[in-house]
Amino acid sequence: MSAITVAKKDFRDAIRSRVLIGLTVLFALFTVGGAALASWLSELSDDASAQSTIELVLTLQAPAGFLVPIIALIVGYGAIAGERESGSLKFLLGLPHRRRDVVLGKVLGRTGVVAVSIFVGFTIGLLGLFAFVGSVSLTDYVAFTAVTILFGLVYVAIGVGLSAMTRSTTRAAVGALSVVILFKVLWGTAGTILLYVIEGAFLVESPPDWYLVYNAISPDAAYGSAIGAVLSRSDPTLASAYDISSLPLVAEPWFGFVILAIWAAVPIGLGLWRFDYVDL
Amino acid sequence: MTAIDISGVTKRYGTELALDGLDLTVESGEIYGFLGPNGAGKSTTINLVLDFIRPTRGDVRVFDLDVRSDSLEIRNRTGILPEGATLYDRLTGRQHVEFAIESKAADDDPDELLERVGIADAAGKKAGGYSKGMAQRLMLATALVGEPDLLILDEPSTGLDPNGAREMREIIREENARGATIFFSSHVLGQVEAVCDRVGILRDGHLIAEDTIDGLRNSMPTQTRLRVTLDRIPDDSATALEAIESIDGVSSVEPEGRTLVVACEDRAKTTVLRRIEDHGVSVEDFETDDSSLEDLFVAYTSNSAGSAGVIQ
Repeated sequence: MSAITVAKKDFRDAIRSRVLIGLTVLFALFTVGGAALASWLSELSDDASAQSTIELVLTLQAPAGFLVPIIALIVGYGAIAGERESGSLKFLLGLPHRRRDVVLGKVLGRTGVVAVSIFVGFTIGLLGLFAFVGSVSLTDYVAFTAVTILFGLVYVAIGVGLSAMTRSTTRAAVGALSVVILFKVLWGTAGTILLYVIEGAFLVESPPDWYLVYNAISPDAAYGSAIGAVLSRSDPTLASAYDISSLPLVAEPWFGFVILAIWAAVPIGLGLWRFDYVDL
Repeated sequence: MTAIDISGVTKRYGTELALDGLDLTVESGEIYGFLGPNGAGKSTTINLVLDFIRPTRGDVRVFDLDVRSDSLEIRNRTGILPEGATLYDRLTGRQHVEFAIESKAADDDPDELLERVGIADAAGKKAGGYSKGMAQRLMLATALVGEPDLLILDEPSTGLDPNGAREMREIIREENARGATIFFSSHVLGQVEAVCDRVGILRDGHLIAEDTIDGLRNSMPTQTRLRVTLDRIPDDSATALEAIESIDGVSSVEPEGRTLVVACEDRAKTTVLRRIEDHGVSVEDFETDDSSLEDLFVAYTSNSAGSAGVIQ
């Protein structure tokens, strides 16, 4: 499999990047910080036994939700544009690899790199939880890690997709930054404004379905839904914010996986389409 | 059997015309030297053959397969040394060759290939620390993986010292003796002359000549290189040079101190000498060389009026 060959080579190359090592260290600091915070909170509540391990695992969701997209975009945005800029893409495509093998191989290889980063960060976080709290359910932890890697894949796909659509790493970087701003800042703000315009208030007792759907379809929300689905918990999902008995399908926790898949497939598809006909 | 068949290919970048209806055929088993000054369209042509860019018009086929839809099969049978390609700084030389072997599903020994191109001792070093010449050798090693039927080498001597360029030519000959077709480009004629069965000369997106080296030599009006030694440098030397260059049949004029080296057709010799003396200097001595291929190349590719007639 040509894409696998490309992925393996790409993984070997990208895993040696110093930037990645720096980001992983930063991520580990965040997870340890999350673990420390969790243990502190459980002491505050004065009821440590009631603190389920799932809740502790969930304290890692915030740092992961924040840093994984950034790590994945940084790892992804240069994947193809960078090789085009430097000229190594000609070496790569001079060997028996189709352009689509290169795009798919890059997504796989860089996801592998991000997965290592997540794995290292979470393992250190897990050790922190053991040290601060004492016990954690390993099954939950593994499920949580797996969903987070899937989340990483989505943002790698967005980064590599952007990278395949331009010959300049600068433009790819601007694109990646715009994606961060879009999902971290603009998405929520735009939703609130829409809510005000349509419903006439910033806070409503029972939000309309369109608002629930809107708030469920960003990749970050889908990550929360998917975690809620695998851990059978409602805390990380949107629904928990409101007291609603029946959710629209799109806002159901399990549907988070569908949304994540779409967020991975669309940028890959656009990247493949554009990269396939362009002059190198 | 044809290895490469380019027919009626035009490539336009915006308003710029890089290739204009190019026809070019490389026969199976030959060494084809693709010559032309920088900017003539050589790399554009090679990039089209490699499917790195797509033609505006026309058809490019390799092994009678479509370069776009059959790129995998073509790649499996072809070794490529693209111009301006770089390596992966963080991977070692051996890892590069191993990657090429895995990509081509070949069973070569990476160390043997590295030995063959003369960088066996740097096999474990990261390519980021390689010199230009070493990088070029490593790229060649990856091109040789899997005993390809066709080798496409774009300016293969770039970054190599004369010794390295000689070794490159030796490898080209060995590969050809094994049965491979070789298509390589150069802007330096000396490298092509020594190994090629056939030569094509590209200028401004047109193939202006295509023949064996001997054929090219014969097709030229007898070229002479005149070395004229003057008693002094004329006061208006720039005007004088221009005047000589503008003579019909002269393809180049190079001043070397008091000596002028003039490449021209035989018939222009007397006019040249007369024109020099028009500028108030006298000719102390002059000698003529046989036409060298370099002059021929210059005559073909320079823009002077004198060469225009030669090209037709």
